[in-house]
Amino acid sequence: MRDIVVSKLRKTFKSKGKEVVAVDNLSFYVTRGEIFGLLGANGAGKSTTINMLAGLVLQDSGTIKLLGKDPKKDWEFVKNRMNVSTAYFPLTDVLTIRQNLRVYAKLYNVKNAEKKIDELLEQFELTKLADKKVVTLSSGERTRTALCKGLINDPQLLFLDECTVGLDPDIAEKTRRIIKDYQKKTGCTILFTSHYMHEVEELCDRIAFMDEGKLLTIATAAQLKKQVKKHQVELTLEDGSDELKELLQEEGLTVLGGRDNMLVFEIDAKSDDVNTIVQRLVKLGLSLKDIHIRKPTLDDIFIHFARRKK
Amino acid sequence: MKLHRIKALLVKYFYISINRVDRLFDVVYWPILDVLLWGFASAFIEQVSDFNLLSMALGGVILWIFVWRSSQDIAVFVLEDFWSRNLYHLFSSPVKLSEHIVSIIIWGLVRAIVSFIFLSLISILLYQFNILTISPLFIAAAVALLLLFGWTMGIFITSFILRFGQRIQVLAWSVVWIIQPFSCIFYPLSALPPWAAAIAKVLPTTHVFEGLRSILFGTGQGNLLYAFGITIVLLVGVSFLLAQSFKAAKRKGMLARGGD
Repeated sequence: MRDIVVSKLRKTFKSKGKEVVAVDNLSFYVTRGEIFGLLGANGAGKSTTINMLAGLVLQDSGTIKLLGKDPKKDWEFVKNRMNVSTAYFPLTDVLTIRQNLRVYAKLYNVKNAEKKIDELLEQFELTKLADKKVVTLSSGERTRTALCKGLINDPQLLFLDECTVGLDPDIAEKTRRIIKDYQKKTGCTILFTSHYMHEVEELCDRIAFMDEGKLLTIATAAQLKKQVKKHQVELTLEDGSDELKELLQEEGLTVLGGRDNMLVFEIDAKSDDVNTIVQRLVKLGLSLKDIHIRKPTLDDIFIHFARRKK
Repeated sequence: MKLHRIKALLVKYFYISINRVDRLFDVVYWPILDVLLWGFASAFIEQVSDFNLLSMALGGVILWIFVWRSSQDIAVFVLEDFWSRNLYHLFSSPVKLSEHIVSIIIWGLVRAIVSFIFLSLISILLYQFNILTISPLFIAAAVALLLLFGWTMGIFITSFILRFGQRIQVLAWSVVWIIQPFSCIFYPLSALPPWAAAIAKVLPTTHVFEGLRSILFGTGQGNLLYAFGITIVLLVGVSFLLAQSFKAAKRKGMLARGGD
């Protein structure tokens, strides 16, 4: 069962008389119970995509199916079963956290609303702040309030747009755990965007990379990492980094940087270059102090995709 | 339309009103100033002439509150959602635009009734003027018509705010006052120069206040049937305009940008 099916979606905006393509011919699907990451640099089209899925922005062309329905036709069915949470749009700031959550609980016709609100406040450690106005909260507290609102109706479909921005590492970790637990408990489908790659790697089953509104690739984190063919090696000698530099150049390897007796260089992921280098260093009588091979992370993938065109 | 969603939005406006003193304040502050100003001015004119301005002026001020509140509340509550960038959450939820507008209309009506009660009591206490002694049937018809026209104006302004964003927010406060001089609240239609009278005759509000004068002095030329007819036509027109503006706002991505 596919809970999100996006087909040939296109959206343009006019900016200073010019047409700007925000989303271009975007197609993907998300299966039920999947946490799907949407990644890309600023302006890649992630938020516009979520806004179109949430019914806030009308697409120029293309189709969207949510929970197996056309949201334009079965709008009531879809919207009652989905929710959106973003760090960028606070709830009504003159209302307290509890008042805001009461309003949304009523909007979604939540049964036992007060109990649900208390549970969410406790989960996100907001109980003590429940009667504070949103305008007086820190950005992290507002973000957590937005997450409470996102879960108020136990959604089957959840859009989380940079929902952990501004959270301290401890709360961010707890938030990820709550999202994971909620997904496990309910089997809901989550579309997730974030600039924190470790978060995406931890949470998402599959990841889509977008650039300038276009979809570049969809894969699991492991598959994506394989797309980066180079590994970085950090090699430190007791002495003699000049010889090492020469040696690396002879081997045709790219030196990325370094300091004192340490050099960082790139090797082909499948090659035997490290072995060769170490053997040659021994022959030259240079003693190795430390060696560290850094495998690509999602950050590298992000940078790889972001810089690919440049 | 779903009742529970309208109730939810009414709860939201209730919370806004109790959390923000200024939203309670404007229900009584400006209307009371108007009653005091026109009451004292009318009392003075009655001292130096035989003309009974008091009932006309106070009747006008008290009835005008329905146009003022109903039009301004729609626009200002929508603007408030723009200011707090709340349209994002509101319209990603199951709320329909019609439910949003209906809830504001109901809340505006409550506020207008509160203002009306306040002003009526002050008029009785200070000037011994009781608006309810004027034909109750006429007052009921006038209130209904002025409310309908106020909502028409409010929806009209909201349509423009949705289409052009907050940069035209000044309309929320100003449009109703542009109409006031042509509505013949404090003077008869016959007192206007021909060009202004031509505009005034088209406005439904003029016919209400001419009707009031007709009851008080037997000199007005109001046509309430025409006023109802034109108001309904305008209301249908602006409702269509609002639906189009909402679509345009979605196309421009304004709901997701907070109306900037």
